[in-house]
Amino acid sequence: MLVSLKWLKDYVDIELTPEELAHRLTMSGLEVEDIKTIRPQFSGVVVAKILSVKPHPSADRLSLCVVSDGNQSYPVVCGAKNISMGDIVPLAKVGAVIPGGYTIKSSLLRGEKSDGMLCSEAELEIGDDESGIMHLPADLPLGLPLEKALNIEDTVLDINITPNRSDCLSIIGIAREVAAITGKKIKFPTVKIKESNEDINSLASVKIIDSDFCPRYTARMVKSIKVGSSPVWMKTRLEAVGMRAINNIVDVTNFVMLEMGQPLHAFDFRFLEEEKIIVRKSRENEEFISLDGKSRILPADTLLICDGVKPVAIGGIMGGLNSEVKEDTQVVLLESAYFNPSSIRRSARKLAMPTDAAFRFERGIDPEGVVRALNRAAQLISEISGGTICKNYIDEYPKKIPLTKDIPLRLDRIRQIIGTQIKAKDVTGILRSIGMVLKQKGKGTYLVTPPSCRVDISREIDLIEEVIRLYGYDHVPVTLPVVDVKEMELTPRLDMEERIRQLLTGSGYTEIVNYSFGTPQAADILSLPENDERRKTVMIKNPLGEDLSAMRTTMICGLLETAKKNADNGSFNLKLFEIGRVFINSSKDELPEEKNMVAGLLTGEITDEFWCSGKTVDFYLLKGSLENILFDLKINNCRYISSSIEPFLHPGKSCGIYLNDKKIGFLGEVHPDVLEKIDFKNNLYIFEINLDILERVYQKKKISYREISKFPAVTRDVAFVIPDAMEADQMINIVLDQKEDLLEKVIIFDVYKGKGIAEGKSLGLRFFYRAPDRTLTDLETNAVHDRIVRNTVNLTGAKIRT
Amino acid sequence: MINELKQLEINALAELQTAETEEHFSNIRTKYLGRKGLLTGLLRNISQVPDVEKPLLGKLSNELKNLLNAKIEEALQQQAIRNKEDVLLKEKIDVTLPGNAIKCGRIHPVIQIRREICSIFVSFGFSVVEGPEIELDYYNFEALNIPHDHPARDMQDTFYISDNVVLRTHTSPVQIRIMEKVRPPLRILSPGKVYRRDSDVSHTPMFHQIEGLLVDKGISFGDLKGILTAFLRKIFGETTTLRFRPSFFPFTEPSAEVDIRCVMCGGKGCRVCKQSGWLEILGSGMVDPAVFQNVNYDSEEYTGFAFGLGLERIAMLKYGISDIRLFFENDIRFLKQF
Ligand SMILES: [Zn+2]
Repeated sequence: MLVSLKWLKDYVDIELTPEELAHRLTMSGLEVEDIKTIRPQFSGVVVAKILSVKPHPSADRLSLCVVSDGNQSYPVVCGAKNISMGDIVPLAKVGAVIPGGYTIKSSLLRGEKSDGMLCSEAELEIGDDESGIMHLPADLPLGLPLEKALNIEDTVLDINITPNRSDCLSIIGIAREVAAITGKKIKFPTVKIKESNEDINSLASVKIIDSDFCPRYTARMVKSIKVGSSPVWMKTRLEAVGMRAINNIVDVTNFVMLEMGQPLHAFDFRFLEEEKIIVRKSRENEEFISLDGKSRILPADTLLICDGVKPVAIGGIMGGLNSEVKEDTQVVLLESAYFNPSSIRRSARKLAMPTDAAFRFERGIDPEGVVRALNRAAQLISEISGGTICKNYIDEYPKKIPLTKDIPLRLDRIRQIIGTQIKAKDVTGILRSIGMVLKQKGKGTYLVTPPSCRVDISREIDLIEEVIRLYGYDHVPVTLPVVDVKEMELTPRLDMEERIRQLLTGSGYTEIVNYSFGTPQAADILSLPENDERRKTVMIKNPLGEDLSAMRTTMICGLLETAKKNADNGSFNLKLFEIGRVFINSSKDELPEEKNMVAGLLTGEITDEFWCSGKTVDFYLLKGSLENILFDLKINNCRYISSSIEPFLHPGKSCGIYLNDKKIGFLGEVHPDVLEKIDFKNNLYIFEINLDILERVYQKKKISYREISKFPAVTRDVAFVIPDAMEADQMINIVLDQKEDLLEKVIIFDVYKGKGIAEGKSLGLRFFYRAPDRTLTDLETNAVHDRIVRNTVNLTGAKIRT
Repeated sequence: MINELKQLEINALAELQTAETEEHFSNIRTKYLGRKGLLTGLLRNISQVPDVEKPLLGKLSNELKNLLNAKIEEALQQQAIRNKEDVLLKEKIDVTLPGNAIKCGRIHPVIQIRREICSIFVSFGFSVVEGPEIELDYYNFEALNIPHDHPARDMQDTFYISDNVVLRTHTSPVQIRIMEKVRPPLRILSPGKVYRRDSDVSHTPMFHQIEGLLVDKGISFGDLKGILTAFLRKIFGETTTLRFRPSFFPFTEPSAEVDIRCVMCGGKGCRVCKQSGWLEILGSGMVDPAVFQNVNYDSEEYTGFAFGLGLERIAMLKYGISDIRLFFENDIRFLKQF
């Protein structure tokens, strides 16, 4: 909220500099976000008196004036009609600068000398009036710079009012706070009403049908008003806080709202049919044109202010075009009401009309301030528009607005929460400074009644907050808690994630973080079949854009997009990974299933500086990274199954990853069709693994050391010629399944196709034989080895390559 | 004869001095010590020497022979070493060429900050916990004392999945989920992604938060100041100046915003701190009794405090990044810098 310091000083004396004041407010909970200075857009303009006016000898529309600044007299040629001898006016002397950057010079106008210029409000940008020369109060000292005379300079604080402090949504609200923190007294404006003999009750009536939404509605009538522009003091105050001046009636309602926090509305009484106000909820499909000229179909249960026939305002939000104050308005009906905060909020949101009035009503206005503001506005309207206030006011108050009284407050509890032995008199002093009424109940216990404007205070803790806030957070000593805490079990997954992160960065992968939402086309880009789980997308109802509307069901699309963006920026060699969640819509639960995943991507050269290798990444590099992860997590029974095909992967260069017959993920080369869809030139290799399944298997296994054999191993190499379709894994398993004790391990040392192999491929296996307690003899080794080879050949039909 | 022997020694040593190759040395050996060599030749005439001189001559000639042999041997050995070095030097490689191992990748800067903060709080006895990112309205708002139609909902612009399901706007719902399951005392920390409907230089629709909660008997606002002061000094340095100022969060009361002296200008005022000299770092407060009531904690017996901070903001301040969107553009040239 913008707060004019000049306006604020109408209600409380301030001796602090704006910076000091801003600091004190900030440290008591009203955060000042900005301090702005308002300066006039002119210089060298002074208060002057017109000594004489006579017609210009050669120009009918001009007059020759002699003007005095108290010191000296100046001849000035003037084009305005509204001047006469003795008027006090602003004089821009020779050398003065007026808005727009014009410098006043001595000149000859139609042969007559002019040493200066008399100015209108508009020319000085003080107001909108351009009809004639501005008239100043007669008691101003001549020669005084105009900005001093009119007190135009001002400082504006931009204060961030937290949603609980509705009492601070007014200048007087801020003044109350300033008074409390500086120890000054607050000066409320005196409201004096001069009423005519005509009773409002004989002219108009108010009926509230929905008292839940509108518990109280008050109204006053002012007759014989003259609509015009507001006085400068009011306009400068309104404009300083960002409110456009409109006319003296509307300006008064805005002024009082800003001054006291009570939104008001003025109806042109002419247009209120049947001379009555009816407060009711909207019916289905009611249409209404508000002051902003927009026509709206109102949602049901919007509170409407109606006359005898039609709606004339959306209660607490905005008035209607049909009853707006116009230039020729003579009688106004002023409304000051209390509306239910949550119903105003619901309506304002549904209508997307976050008006100043709605903002205040939905946060809760001072229930006791309704009539005060009504009278204040009536007084100001009558003062500045010359109207007469009718006798009495209407006060329809069908439903008591509850006020909080007598909140118990314990000194012990304050001390416990703050953590320091604050003195009783400090507590009572602080609470009284913000208008709380205290009654001592017992030793160290009080009953506290907050002022009616503090609708946020209803509990002991609310009072404690007030105490500590004004006591000063700085004065609370720093302590450290001594707590006996039960250790909570850390999820193995977080531990797993850290290991994976470490390992992947160590093998060259860089971690990325993508948004969890993306395009709803993701499933199509990946050509996922209709029944694929990853088509069960969770959609955002109010996304920032269509391309950010679908919660991801796989991290692959994000990775591909990231690779694409980087390649477009000239980074072609990429090793990326992401750890995060994907979301699968659930038909039975309200919340979707959230799966923790790790996904990775390789493309381009193995290293940027490939002077020594020049090799591009491939399937086996990616698989090696995955194997390392699983090795590190001590998960050693994963299988890579080529028949498990993802539609977005190359069918011949990809596989599913299985753990105990459960699929945990996949890896492989991206399908050329997908590359084409995303317009990517190089090959891409990707994987994705479900960490939740891994977590179930992963445990920090107890490691028990197995003694290393002191005896040498004997190796035997055999090259088997097998059909192309047969996978290495199958051969190895056939060997291992024979469960020969002396066979320590078998590795693949060669895969060969080509010259010398007529059909199929050659798989070179190296067998390691070792006994724990002795050196194996050739005889022993051969016996076992021959058996294994013979069985393998028998089981697979492989030929031995010699 | 002795003089001749002396002369022979002088000559031989001089020749050895100038010899360079293995061939030279073996020539010198042959020339002096060979069967037809000079020393042998000289000794052939020993019969002409008087008997008394013979033992001395024999001794001297033996000494010379040994000396020359030793010298030649030593020189040959050194030559051999030199030769080997020469061979190795010919294999010289360019050690300034880049290494051949795959270059390390980087952990995302925000995740690095998360690790750092988690490890500080773990050292204070906090446990790391998690919760869902798509959350029920109840956990994200209601249970945290943010009812429907309450202006406090304006503080966070929310993404909705349905009327009742939202993308969590903060990590605070995890507090509720844990408190529903675990009785006090407790110290927990919940890091994670959060979502708000906002996008500009300083806002992204997704970002990371860490939320902390400590509940026990007798926890005070002083304790909140103590823990958070210790934490911020660990992150930003022991000399960091901070201030606690009153603020409002629906689920804490009293609430405090914590600022540190601007790390960019040291408090003089700059663009980063909007001329205020202070940077907002985290929100905190004493857990509101209404929240305890929602999880059946007795607020008369237990008190506690909670705090939350945005990780991107910390990373931006630490690394001098002015556009938050960079964290999610994942440009490798950006990521490699951390
Ligand atoms: Zn700064």
